[in-house]
Amino acid sequence: MSTRDSNDERIALLQGTLDLLILKSLVFGSCHGQGIARSIQRQSEDVFLVEHGSLYVALQRLEDRKWIRAKWGVSENNRKARFYSLTEKGREQLVEKTGEWRRLTRAVGLILDASHPEPEEA
Amino acid sequence: MFRCKRSAEDFAEEIQAHIELEAEELEREGLSREDARWKAKQKFGSKRAAQERFYMHGRWIEMDRFRRDLKHGFRSLLQSPGFTVTAILMLALGMGANTAVFSVMNAVLLQLLPVDDPARVVYLRTTNPPHGTGTIDTTQTFSYPVYEALHKQTGGMSAVIAYVPLSGNKVAVRYGAEPQEAEGDMVSGAFFSALGVRLQRGRGFTEQDEVDHTSVAVISNEYWTRRFARNPEVLSSTLYVNGIGFTITGIAAAGFEGLEAGKSTDFWIPLQNRPELNAWGNPLEDGKGYTANPTWWCMRLVGRLSPGVTKAQAAAQLQPVFQAAAYVGLGSPAPNEQKPTLSFVDAKGFPGYAAQYGRPLRLLMGMVVLVLLIALTNVVMLLMARNASREREFSMKLALGAGRGDLLRQLLTESLLLVVAGGAVAWVFAVVATKALGSWAQIESSLTPDGTVLRFTVAVLALTTILFGLAPLRMALAAAPSLALKTSAAASATDTGKSRMGRIIVALQMTFCVVLLVGAGLLLRTLRNLENTPLGMKVDGLVVFGVSPHVESLSQGREFYRELIGKLRTLPGVESVTVMEERLGSWSSDNSDMMVDGRLPEVANGGSRTVRSNVVGPGFFTALGVPVLAGRDFTDSDNATSPHVGIINEEFARRFLPNQNPLGHTIGTEDGMYQMTVVGVVKNHKYRSIDEEPIPMAWYMYAQIPIIGRMDVEMRVQGQPLAILPSARKAVQQLDPNLPLIRPMTQRAQYDTTISNQTLFARLAGSFGLLAVVLVATGLYGTLAYRVNRRTAEIGIRMAMGAGRSQVVWMILRDSLALTAVGVGLGLPVAVLLGRALSSSLYGVKPLDATSFLLAVFGVAAVALAASVVPARRAASIEPLTALRTE
Repeated sequence: MSTRDSNDERIALLQGTLDLLILKSLVFGSCHGQGIARSIQRQSEDVFLVEHGSLYVALQRLEDRKWIRAKWGVSENNRKARFYSLTEKGREQLVEKTGEWRRLTRAVGLILDASHPEPEEA
Repeated sequence: MFRCKRSAEDFAEEIQAHIELEAEELEREGLSREDARWKAKQKFGSKRAAQERFYMHGRWIEMDRFRRDLKHGFRSLLQSPGFTVTAILMLALGMGANTAVFSVMNAVLLQLLPVDDPARVVYLRTTNPPHGTGTIDTTQTFSYPVYEALHKQTGGMSAVIAYVPLSGNKVAVRYGAEPQEAEGDMVSGAFFSALGVRLQRGRGFTEQDEVDHTSVAVISNEYWTRRFARNPEVLSSTLYVNGIGFTITGIAAAGFEGLEAGKSTDFWIPLQNRPELNAWGNPLEDGKGYTANPTWWCMRLVGRLSPGVTKAQAAAQLQPVFQAAAYVGLGSPAPNEQKPTLSFVDAKGFPGYAAQYGRPLRLLMGMVVLVLLIALTNVVMLLMARNASREREFSMKLALGAGRGDLLRQLLTESLLLVVAGGAVAWVFAVVATKALGSWAQIESSLTPDGTVLRFTVAVLALTTILFGLAPLRMALAAAPSLALKTSAAASATDTGKSRMGRIIVALQMTFCVVLLVGAGLLLRTLRNLENTPLGMKVDGLVVFGVSPHVESLSQGREFYRELIGKLRTLPGVESVTVMEERLGSWSSDNSDMMVDGRLPEVANGGSRTVRSNVVGPGFFTALGVPVLAGRDFTDSDNATSPHVGIINEEFARRFLPNQNPLGHTIGTEDGMYQMTVVGVVKNHKYRSIDEEPIPMAWYMYAQIPIIGRMDVEMRVQGQPLAILPSARKAVQQLDPNLPLIRPMTQRAQYDTTISNQTLFARLAGSFGLLAVVLVATGLYGTLAYRVNRRTAEIGIRMAMGAGRSQVVWMILRDSLALTAVGVGLGLPVAVLLGRALSSSLYGVKPLDATSFLLAVFGVAAVALAASVVPARRAASIEPLTALRTE
């Protein structure tokens, strides 16, 4: 996944993270691509910038893996849009990926927070 | 990976929707409409990049490229349909013909029997039968005592089993009401278990079945399918064989069609000892069937070697048992008599076929290789010619930025397409040709093209095609694009190396062609000789069929035939009717030594004393149209009460009664039991087959000898011979409604079956010759046309400089005539060798037959000329100015 070089406070997404965020943003109902991008951006308090090209590649990939499914529909303001929703498999993946992510962040946190390194053996 | 993806349009629409949604949202956030649109677009980034990533996503790029290459290859091949069609046909003929012939050869020679562990299954053979015996085949059949002795032994062989046909051809059977004929064998109880042939339904036989001569039968899968439409209810129903009921207890596994050479056995029954079911359908001899008659060696034997025992060891171990059993009931052997020796041969292939068809098939294989070589060289020449003229195309592509890999892939794809298309056509061709070959060879067993062979041939041709298909790449890559671009036809036409290669190939093709044509000529002339061989009788107008009446006593049997002959004689259109025990022209004959004037005749320096005999009815030679040279034919008044009479042929008289009047001499069986007076001498004529040499013959009168049984009826009729059969059938069934006519056919057709081998061989050789001529002609035409094309500019210049049209034509013709001369010069010595190799298969033709050689040479020359004329004329009709403007 490519990231955009930027010197503002926004953070480039880690490999694989986008998939997780997409799945998460679909938990409460189906949504179209633009909505997903917005919701990720908003919920991360504008920290994450979703690069749209990557978003659609990711959506396609998730659809291919049958984690999400897509259907053309009409948005709240009467625009035709392709709506994505979670499949059963997608829900399972979300749980699993969330767990993984928690373990990862916890481990990273532990390392970063460790103020007293273990004494080396003589 | 290959799942149908969303269309690019759908994706574009989604992106459009995204941008619009985003713009709307931005507008709501307070931007002006214009700004919102601009911002949304800018935020999205490059639409094209997104679309490209979408396109590439999840797609197997190589596959995609391959698809494009394929498309390109198709288009490029379609641009030159002539080349494509010719190349595919060449490949198909080469691969298909090869596969078909090899498949038949494989079935005949190499394929093992459809039995368990066939490597251990062997046929029993003897060097010779003891004196005083009658045989079906001098080396392949054994007496019942020999079978019994070998069957009982243990040690070297885990089993020895026998099989005996119920008839020389087919036996009368009845299932339900309708009489029919089928091929049946009597077999040992251990037949199926020892061979390891499984039964798909029901049970096989046991040793007890053999001892009790149980009335049970096993039918073949093929017979079950053909006759009973695979109805499972045939099990435990009754099949009547010669009027005796047999309960069908089993159906043999598919693929097992018996052990009879080239025949498909329909049913098997345990060994019987009833008079109605004597071996080979023969009548009882002195009231004795095959089980009680040690002098009749009529049983075929098969054995299974014990594990770890070789054929030689087993034979050595069984030799004393065999030699003792051989003289059971015969007394001790004469002091100077050579005792029979037992040996084993591998039971590979269909029995007897290797000997009969092996050599012809190997020669055919050689022909196929030649045809394959011609086809192969043709394809190579076609590819080289086509690709040479595409050098500019490749240079152009390179100059325009195509990678070497792209060119490589393109060429590979084209070659692959050719091979695949050729292979598909070849398969169809192989299926048809295998069927045709199989029926020509009269192999009744099911034959299919051999997959392994086809794959092998395809591999060879594919490799060649691909290698030569890539050849132009090297040339194109060697030349810098800029150079190649400048190359014109006039400048590139003078690649001497390449054209020399082409000339060598053409000359070689001519060589192969001469060889094939000589071979085809020799064999076709052999066939014509055989077909025109005088049989020594008037064979047209004769029709023959067999009857197998239910004979209870000698007098009843004689009465049956007397009545039958009488009835048939009264049918309208019938000129004469007679009967015979051995059917003429069916390869079968009864051979034995005969007494002349009370003793075995003296023969100079160990020559053969064998006399071939037959048992016939009244007016036999008159009906056949065989001239009676001295004395008389048999008549109706030669009967049981009149003196015994016999008739001999010229050869008998010459060999055993030289320089005397044979009439009045007494001849008789070797054991002296039956004597008869010679009352007639007939001209030598063909008896067993068309290509036989005359051998001493004697004929008995059926109404006088002490045995009677199955006979063949010979009728001379006016008009179409087969048209008499319905009324003849009616006449037979008036005597016994259960009797079918067995193998009814014209006598001519019966004789023709004896040369079916040669016929097949000659026809195949002929078709290969024709195939070769067609291939060589197209190859030569293609090469010449191509070369004339390349020399258009040169010819234009020559003509502009004053060369006449005839000079141009001569220039082209001279070229191909020179090639022909070289090819023929090389081919003739090879053809001489081929003629020598064929000599044993020739009849009435010398291996160096001038006509065949001349025809072949003229044939090749004519083909070369015909193939050259069109390109030559085209060359001559070139307008110098147009030619010079080319390029």
